[in-house]
Amino acid sequence: MGDNGAQPDTPARSPFLTWTETVARVGLALFFLYVFLVGVKSLEKGISSFGGDLVDQVFLSVANPIAGLAAGVLATVLVQSSSVTTSTIVGLVGSGVLPVETAVPMVMGANIGTTVTNTLASLGHLRQGAYFRRAFAAATVHDYFNLLAVAVLLPLEVFFGLISKIANGLASGVGDLLPQGGSGSSPIKSAITAPVSWMADTIESLGWTTAEGWILLAIGIGLIFAGLWLITRQMKKVMSGRIENAINSLLGKGAGVSALAVGLVMTVAVQSSSITTSMLIPLVAAGVLTLRNAFPVTLGANIGTTVTALLASVAADSEDALVIALAHVTFNILGILIFYPWPRLRAIPLGLAERTADAAVRRKSIVAGYVIGLFIIAPLAILLIT
Amino acid sequence: MFSMFRDADQLETVEKQLAEMLRSCQDAFRLGTAAAFGEQDVTEAGEQLDALDKDLNKTERAIRRELLVHGTVRGADIDQGLMLTYMSLAKDIERIGDYCKNVWNLAQMGVDLSGGSDEKELSKHRARVAELIKAALDAFSEQDAEKVHELIPMIKKDTQHYDSHVVQFVNSDLPGREAAPRALFYRYIKRISSHLTNILSSVVMPVDRLDFYKKSRAIEPEPD
Repeated sequence: MGDNGAQPDTPARSPFLTWTETVARVGLALFFLYVFLVGVKSLEKGISSFGGDLVDQVFLSVANPIAGLAAGVLATVLVQSSSVTTSTIVGLVGSGVLPVETAVPMVMGANIGTTVTNTLASLGHLRQGAYFRRAFAAATVHDYFNLLAVAVLLPLEVFFGLISKIANGLASGVGDLLPQGGSGSSPIKSAITAPVSWMADTIESLGWTTAEGWILLAIGIGLIFAGLWLITRQMKKVMSGRIENAINSLLGKGAGVSALAVGLVMTVAVQSSSITTSMLIPLVAAGVLTLRNAFPVTLGANIGTTVTALLASVAADSEDALVIALAHVTFNILGILIFYPWPRLRAIPLGLAERTADAAVRRKSIVAGYVIGLFIIAPLAILLIT
Repeated sequence: MFSMFRDADQLETVEKQLAEMLRSCQDAFRLGTAAAFGEQDVTEAGEQLDALDKDLNKTERAIRRELLVHGTVRGADIDQGLMLTYMSLAKDIERIGDYCKNVWNLAQMGVDLSGGSDEKELSKHRARVAELIKAALDAFSEQDAEKVHELIPMIKKDTQHYDSHVVQFVNSDLPGREAAPRALFYRYIKRISSHLTNILSSVVMPVDRLDFYKKSRAIEPEPD
């Protein structure tokens, strides 16, 4: 029906992606995935070349699990992406700077920090009370689920090493099947290592040996950011039609495993849980998606986002990188197994989110207090105290 | 499960749904008038009409949801004008369904429009509206601007004629049981015709002028 009904100067609607365009965009996304992996490798190599003092300092600053958790929250809030944080953590673990046990709370913190994006997205509905109540509840249910999962699983990890043990078991079970495969070599690893070695050689030939670690670290972080951003851009274009279709089916079918699968697949496809969860906010705000039906989608997004760390571990030399990536998966799956299947436990994050949203509608200062307090002041205070 | 993730152009889906709604309106008008002209059992027609009405309402709600999802997922890439147009069209088409049901309500109240001295004229208008719904469906589906420019002035003329009939029956000396249903019938077909004009205007008018057809302000179709 063309552009009728629209102003003459309105751009024509996005055409349905042609097969060739889809292939080209997927090809580009794969190239950017390669760029991302080179970034992780560069970060790992950069950190490896630092002296023992710096490594000790990093380790000491997050050795306390609560501090590690706070660092994970703060880092993710600052970069607005848990994928960047977890990939960096994978790089740190891969380079041997962080032991897996120390990194697990940081990964948990990244899970909490990433929810700031959809909480901020819900603020767009601040003008209209009923809309905002639903939007804020949809955003904070993700916060509460992550906080509750951390409250239960962090002590189990600290005292019994529950997540690390499961992740280690998984790594030894599936490690050989994956391209990660620890310190062994593979064509993928060689292709990732080659440009980083070239960069390191170039830096040395320029005589900047003392700054080599910092330069590789900066390049690594830059490539991780750029790679993930570009993958997300390409894949969002490729997946838009499918995502729309999946959400429309979801609105018809309701909550449950299919909603969880929608969240998971969407997040894996666009490599961003924030995009998935932020898409839910206007739908819940408008009342077409209920909080209860949106909840499993956010849980699926939580699992989907762990794929980034798994991909990052492909670039790492140490098998511990795979272990921490699997720890991220384990943490999210255990959290879901605790808080989703049983209605009484499921009702806890839902109820907390609804009560917080009610309070937020009555007093807008609660919104500011919640966002700044949970995502900035609390982790900062913990870091300063510990 | 995997079918949930099949690729689809959601706006194309909405366009098909709108055309399907108009097709249902054709059936709804046929059923409503068949009952009011004593050609079909009122209860039987009512049951079929009820099912059509439920479908129309369900599709209208689905279109609204799909447009919201489309806007949410595509963000800045959406054609907002087209989305607003489709939102408005779904309402117009759904209203046509309601007026067809109102025509059936006349039969439900015991009215029989056949057999009177004006039967020929009533039947003529009935056939005319049925024909216009079909013409509107075709012009809308094919986005035929030329046809739209031809149809809208004709429909406007018809609506003025229906209005004059309403005024005539309101002021007539006929008994209420004859004048009131006829005034209502003309009023309903006038509203159906007006909604058809709104639907057709979406083919040629910019979004701010939807429902306000003026040939001089229309968007000219792109030359081939």
